[in-house]
Amino acid sequence: MTSSNGVVGAPIEVLLVEDSPGDVRLTQEALLEANRAIHLHIAFDGVEAMAFLTRVGSNARAPRPDLILLDLNLPKMDGREVLAQIKADETLRTIPTIILTTSDAEADIVKSYQLQANCFLTKPVQLAAFESLVKSINDFWLTKAKLPHQAERGLT
Amino acid sequence: MIEGRYRELLEAAPDSMVLVNESGQIVLLNHQAEKQFGYDRGELLGQPVRSIIPVGFAERLIADGTRNAEQALAQQIGTGIELAARRKDGSEFPIEIMLSPLKNDKGVLVAAAIRDISVRREAEIHLVQMEARYRGLLEAAPDAMVVVNQGGEIVLLNVQAEKQFGYSRDELLGLQVRTIIPEGFAERLITDGTRTAAEALAQQIGTGIELIGRRKDASGFPIEIMLSPLPSADGILVTAAIRDITERKEAEKHLAQMESRYRGLLEAAPDAMVLMNTDGGIVLLNLQAEKQFQYHRDELAGRPLRTIIPEVWTIIADVKQRIAGALRSAGNSKAQEIGAGIEFNGRRKDNSDFPIEVTLSILQTAEGVLVTVAIRDITTRKKAEAQLLQTMQELNRSNEELGQFAYIASHDLQEPLRMVASYTQLLSKRYKGKLDGDADQFIAFAVDGANRMQLLIQDLLAYSRIGTKGSELLTTSSENALERAIVNLAGAIEDSGALVTHDLLPSVLADQRQLVQLFQNLVGNAIKYQGAGVPRIHVSCNRSAGAKWLFSVQDNGLGIEAKYFERIFGMFQRLHKREEFAGTGIGLAICKKIVERHGGEISVESQLGHGSTFRFALPESSAI
Repeated sequence: MTSSNGVVGAPIEVLLVEDSPGDVRLTQEALLEANRAIHLHIAFDGVEAMAFLTRVGSNARAPRPDLILLDLNLPKMDGREVLAQIKADETLRTIPTIILTTSDAEADIVKSYQLQANCFLTKPVQLAAFESLVKSINDFWLTKAKLPHQAERGLT
Repeated sequence: MIEGRYRELLEAAPDSMVLVNESGQIVLLNHQAEKQFGYDRGELLGQPVRSIIPVGFAERLIADGTRNAEQALAQQIGTGIELAARRKDGSEFPIEIMLSPLKNDKGVLVAAAIRDISVRREAEIHLVQMEARYRGLLEAAPDAMVVVNQGGEIVLLNVQAEKQFGYSRDELLGLQVRTIIPEGFAERLITDGTRTAAEALAQQIGTGIELIGRRKDASGFPIEIMLSPLPSADGILVTAAIRDITERKEAEKHLAQMESRYRGLLEAAPDAMVLMNTDGGIVLLNLQAEKQFQYHRDELAGRPLRTIIPEVWTIIADVKQRIAGALRSAGNSKAQEIGAGIEFNGRRKDNSDFPIEVTLSILQTAEGVLVTVAIRDITTRKKAEAQLLQTMQELNRSNEELGQFAYIASHDLQEPLRMVASYTQLLSKRYKGKLDGDADQFIAFAVDGANRMQLLIQDLLAYSRIGTKGSELLTTSSENALERAIVNLAGAIEDSGALVTHDLLPSVLADQRQLVQLFQNLVGNAIKYQGAGVPRIHVSCNRSAGAKWLFSVQDNGLGIEAKYFERIFGMFQRLHKREEFAGTGIGLAICKKIVERHGGEISVESQLGHGSTFRFALPESSAI
């Protein structure tokens, strides 16, 4: 399959920060069904996520993600803190960060946007709805939206 | 001659007697005179009276230029003249003489009755000493005080005694105490056969004896006397503290009158009742009050009300003001309530407190304004209230806990269930038709079960959120809420071709989201439970009692049998098979809970086959 962003052969790097293996697998299935060019990286908690993003230790060669899918309730360092650190970082803050969580609490929504989340999505209960949501993430963020590093990459 | 005529007379007299002629010579004397002066009769007869009474007697007998002897004498008659007498041995002693003229053929003789007053003089001197000693003490006493000797004579007194009895000090000194206290005091001083004066007195010491005092003007007044012994050189004297108890007696009389007038009234009352004057003093109380506060009525009459209601001072000023106000505006009404249901602590004699509720009313009487204080022991009520409050709190807490539990349970159940549902669905999607027929059926049941469970949990969550996640009730346009619900139902309305109409709808006090949900559930049900025809739904609103709006959602749907009217509002209650109509049966339970949270009730009126009307009331918006 060809990436629909126009850059043939270039993988799309997505970081999924999610502690539930079931959700990881489900998201993986849905993303790959939507777009075969997606190269999905998984962090199971907030600390792992930050290590990946800042290329600490074994992550030295980790790619810079095009998109981050971030759950809120995570062990060690929760999603809000990860979000705050990403948005406080000069180089990381330009990466679109989407909150993908089971919560639909108003407090979580407000807090996430205050921390500069690019989007807040609640995981639908039905599989079909979830697949549809993931597809729309791909369609909008990874296909239609112009992202800074892609433009950068396009120039090189 | 003279002797013959007067001798017997003279000898009968208790005092010394001498008869003197106009020249001052003794012409006759009695035996007592011989003894008193230490002469024999013969030695004195014919002698000038000057030899036994050197100064002050003979002079009075002598005519001077301006008057004759008779005139001179007349001036002295009947008067006790105090002089000094001289015995034969030259010693002198104080006397008092009384003169009276005796006319005979030889002219005028003067009879002198001579009394030795040594004892009295001494007593007087003693008195002066006593006075000096006790005066300060006596005058310091608030009551009238008299000191009486065993002869019943007043020997000492204070200013209060003078004032009280209307006598001057000099008039009272030496006076029989019987004169100012005619009965009941002097008797007590007197020894009888069985006891000495000291013993008799001892029995009376310290006791308040109520007697009648008599003033100089003969008017009587009630007194209370307290006796105490005062040993002195002359034996035991008695000090009497005399208190004028006119006022107390008046008060007692007044009380007796009041009692006879209001007692029946007070005793008829089921509560403790106290009559209070405007100064906060207790005038009268009933048996219930005695029992409740454990006092005898005599212990409370005249005492301030705060004795039994310590905090009453907090309202006394207010009560006075209200009395004044009530009297101004009162007119003819005799009893006026000036305070009701005021809660205090009552205090019993043993200092234990108990909760009371007090009602105050003005009682205008011939004696002036009184306040009736009706006191109800509310111990039982308070206990019941406390218990009720506790039960309510426990109930609230348990309700809250239950709500929290339902919320948390349903919220947390959702996560694993989402996994079950998602993966059974994924299984179905990927492997349908790739395994055998049984596998397809099993997977289908699993998917269906997971889906139904998801709906139940979502509904349960929605239901529990009404209580736990509700917003404040604010002024909300019910029309806007209905419009929003209609928008949310757009799909169903389009599919069914339903016609949803409504009147002008008012603003109400509501949680907007819940109001939308309420309309959405009711209108949604009306569309869903429909026969073959086009659903017609009309929402209207009328004013109802108690500042509420009564909403009606009327449909032309299937209708409901009357026996199900109650049941349909219960949790997970369904009237139809799942194959006929989908749903968990929680929609109306949510409606009921929303309406109840807004302080209203929801009901249904329906007939099978003739549509249904759901009615609910919402509070009027105060902003209107």
